[in-house]
Amino acid sequence: MLPTFATSGEIILEDRFSIRHLRAPLVRGDLLVVESPLQRGQMVCKRLLGLPGDVICVDPTGERSPSTEHVKVPEGHVWISGDNAEWSRDSRDYGPVPIALVKGRIVARVWPPHKFTLYPSGSGVNFLT
Amino acid sequence: MWGALKSSRTARLWPILYWLPTGIVFASHWFELKAITGRSMQPTLNPNSSLWRDIGLFRRDVDIDAKYSREDIVTLRSPENHERLLIKRIVAKEGDTVRTLPPYPDAEVVIPKNHVWVEGDEHFWSDDSNRFGPISECLVESRLVMVVWPLSRFGAPNSKPTQSDKEYLAQTHKEQVRCSRVKQAKQPHSTQESSAESDSTWIPVYIRTLFECA
Repeated sequence: MLPTFATSGEIILEDRFSIRHLRAPLVRGDLLVVESPLQRGQMVCKRLLGLPGDVICVDPTGERSPSTEHVKVPEGHVWISGDNAEWSRDSRDYGPVPIALVKGRIVARVWPPHKFTLYPSGSGVNFLT
Repeated sequence: MWGALKSSRTARLWPILYWLPTGIVFASHWFELKAITGRSMQPTLNPNSSLWRDIGLFRRDVDIDAKYSREDIVTLRSPENHERLLIKRIVAKEGDTVRTLPPYPDAEVVIPKNHVWVEGDEHFWSDDSNRFGPISECLVESRLVMVVWPLSRFGAPNSKPTQSDKEYLAQTHKEQVRCSRVKQAKQPHSTQESSAESDSTWIPVYIRTLFECA
């Protein structure tokens, strides 16, 4: 997630309640905390790229995945991707992720204080385009 | 008089309020009771002869290293709809080779790292891995420890002394068929072979079918 978050030393505020209990909608571009489907208990932070039904180009660079074709994100799944594409292990490697593994949404960066940033839902769309 | 009544009511309420957080934490982290609906685990759970819906005691694993083993009955979040909770049996674990049943496109599948193959005992009534493929182990929420209701089948789910002969035979036959379809990995964990396997890119079945369509 490099241009967005530093590799260490930052503290973020995570909202674990509204997605799971208030059925808050997932919005493209949001920063999500997801349990990695490859490792039980490991939390990863990724950006939400595709919602169920979206058609996604698996890997625009064509380096990671065996095909550059487009796939449709199946029902109940989301497509996630790291901001630092070269170093991120994300949906390009393990495919769409079940929504049940989405544990929360990042609301703000609270530390260090001079870098305090709010991430309102939907604001990440600018990053994608 | 009314004041006294009110205060006695609130006095009765206090212990409940006091223990409520403990109860919530206990149920969401250790053990909880759940009623089982549906026919997908027949004849093990909710058999036709039973008048009641089974109630089971489930253990959630707080311990991340806790591993589920084959033949465990588990609850899991449906990969297609995260609000649905399914109850299935783990048939195969990572590295195993499974001979699949009809809706699945491939005849045999090797279970990728950190994934499991889940199936209902009653194939006809069950939406399981034969439809959506191997699922990530993270979707598994809890394990069935014992059936607590009806009392005639009280006990661990795989002990069957109180069942009728017919059900017992059906169950053992299913178990034999199920086990014959799975070829277990030789050394399930920490071998060179398995680590080499985990490095290779794996595409889930739903993407693969889409590739084929495209």
